[in-house]
Amino acid sequence: MAMDRRTFLRVSAGAAGGCLLCADATLASPGKKQQDFGSNVAMLNDLTRCVGCRACQSACKSYYDLDQYGPMEGLDTPGGLSEANHCVIKEYKEGDEQSYIKRQCMHCNHPSCVSACPVAALEKQDNGVVTYDPDACIGCRYCMVACPFNVPRFEWNSAAPKIQKCTFCEERIAAGEDPVCEDACPTDAITFGTRDELLKEAHRRIAENPDRYENEVYGETNAGGTSVIYLAGVSFDKLGLRDFGEEPLPELAEKVQHGIFKFFVAPVALFGLLGLTRASNMRCDPDDEDCIEE
Amino acid sequence: MDEHSYRKPRPHLPTKEDIAQYEDVWERFPRAPQEKKLWTPAFTTGVAIIAVGILLLLIRFIFGLGSITNLSSGFPWGLWIAFDVVVGIALASGGFVTAALVYIFNLGKYSPLVRPALVTALLGYAMAAFGVFIDVGRWWQLYNPVLPWHWQGSSALFEVALCVMSYLLVLIIEFAPTVIDKLSTNKDSKLKRFAIRIRPILEKVMILFIILGVVISTMHQSSLGSIMLLMSHRLHALWFTPWLPLLFLMSAIAVGMHVVIVESMLSAKTFGRRIEMPLLSGLAKRSIAFLGLYVIIKLMDLIWADEFTMLFTSWWGLLWWVEVLLFGMVPVFLLSFKAFRRDPRWLFWISWMVIGGLILNRFNVYLFAVQAYDGWTYFPTMWEVIVSASIVAFIFVGYKYLSNKFPVLHKEEGLAKA
Ligand code: SF4
Ligand code: SF4
Repeated sequence: MAMDRRTFLRVSAGAAGGCLLCADATLASPGKKQQDFGSNVAMLNDLTRCVGCRACQSACKSYYDLDQYGPMEGLDTPGGLSEANHCVIKEYKEGDEQSYIKRQCMHCNHPSCVSACPVAALEKQDNGVVTYDPDACIGCRYCMVACPFNVPRFEWNSAAPKIQKCTFCEERIAAGEDPVCEDACPTDAITFGTRDELLKEAHRRIAENPDRYENEVYGETNAGGTSVIYLAGVSFDKLGLRDFGEEPLPELAEKVQHGIFKFFVAPVALFGLLGLTRASNMRCDPDDEDCIEE
Repeated sequence: MDEHSYRKPRPHLPTKEDIAQYEDVWERFPRAPQEKKLWTPAFTTGVAIIAVGILLLLIRFIFGLGSITNLSSGFPWGLWIAFDVVVGIALASGGFVTAALVYIFNLGKYSPLVRPALVTALLGYAMAAFGVFIDVGRWWQLYNPVLPWHWQGSSALFEVALCVMSYLLVLIIEFAPTVIDKLSTNKDSKLKRFAIRIRPILEKVMILFIILGVVISTMHQSSLGSIMLLMSHRLHALWFTPWLPLLFLMSAIAVGMHVVIVESMLSAKTFGRRIEMPLLSGLAKRSIAFLGLYVIIKLMDLIWADEFTMLFTSWWGLLWWVEVLLFGMVPVFLLSFKAFRRDPRWLFWISWMVIGGLILNRFNVYLFAVQAYDGWTYFPTMWEVIVSASIVAFIFVGYKYLSNKFPVLHKEEGLAKA
């Protein structure tokens, strides 16, 4: 009898460990604070209008005093973005095909960086902007590893390093102004507005000029949607904007994580089970060889 | 070696008083400090490496991480995270595995292994925490995950951070009896009287901490796998799977046993003691189930995801095979033979194979199979390697120091009597 109970307990302890890990999806409540992204602030980058003058890039750099961190990079550095460049124009050219691409934080609807950050230094604000708070940040760089667009940058050569990325000019927006890059652009390639408005506008431009555009608005659904959306004349893949599917990328990880921590059920249950296992093992017959041996 | 050369310990008799007093296995296998010569050439070399590491870290803290590492925007995590932290924590799991075997599953015969495994775990976790400390940029804010207004339940790293901090506390508590035993052999002093007074209290609550330690360990060992669940877009399909947390937990448990085996053999050699062969081969036998199941889950997952053919069509497949042959297939095959299990030499090298395979696995998941964007590459600098080496050196030096000065290893007579 004792043997049976013990075996049972061992098995159930194992099972408990199991559910702790593959936590059932039904338990999960992915941390979506927002369901409707339409009224979020957004930015439409129409790459067919971009002439590659980099006015946006230098406006951003001087407005945020990023010159202090180093030189203007752009065409030739990998990724382009750096702690000194939150916004970068790069050129794509192959055969007759040519396009510029503006790289910056996408202010994702479901940002991986926010999901990753262990101390909520990165946060998705109610207006959709993904903000950074250096006083919370521990500098672990999980956000950099997690961001699908490889956006956050780290001050590698500082004793008190911060994460650097596009802030969507959160303070200017709060004061009713437009982002600096939008103000600086001479060709109206950058439009600022709400996400709904800009999606509509983007589709209108495609409908009006189907030859000029790829028939896709990048960021409408990619990786669960982004606040910074793109129109282009060449396929987005070539511009480094990969198709991530429509599922928000952090979903799987959040399901598992929330499953485990839902009211702390799983860890507490495991604690109880282990306690029971021990109690039952302590009660078995001392003359029973099996009590100690396998 | 003869498997029955030592007295099978009597199971604990559960009279009421006994339960109240917490069964004192230390009495069955009394421990003693080794008190051998400390400053051997190996020990001195270890200390020297640590000294160089400290110098390098001075540079890192003054001039930033870029000064001595090759980390970049494409590889924000490098050798230190993959090895010092992720591998380190997995290898340190021996502490909770042996504690669970002895105190939860009542396999009292393993109790001589508990304290040394605990020392290894304590040193391993201390060094993993140190590895985090030197790797994070804003280290003066490293306590932020403790503050409730910073809590971020979606982040697996948040869970790992909290768990590692609390498990370090649990380990210190679990290690306390060793220190107290040492203090109680001191000359009469306030400290000695305090030690004697606190010992019974500690014994009463110890089991709670042991169970807590096991729970916390399951949580963060698996969460080290969950961390990579956010990286479906970067991690190679052969390694990315929703089962990562389970795989990480199982492999940590299995490797924990083999670390205990290697640790026990090395310490037998260092201190000129007999190898606890029957215990070690028993442990090796128990690891077969975890290793075998691990390999099966890994294979099933690939078949399920229809990625099985990838194993034969690219270099990644080859890397995968090397890893799974080392951490899994070959050891499972060899260990299933009594002859290999009971031969100290074979067991030693099989255990190293398991450890090597685990290291390769963690490197694959955290470094090699993580695809960089835009052509970034990473290879650690010599300085990164030296710092990691000094972290390993600290564990060896610390182990030798602690078992030399504190009653960690059991007295051999406890085993010799038939
Ligand atoms: S682009 Fe990257 S950094 Fe910007 S919100 Fe999305 S995940 Fe975060
Ligand atoms: S580096 Fe800072 S912002 Fe990025 S995940 Fe870590 S704590 Fe959060």
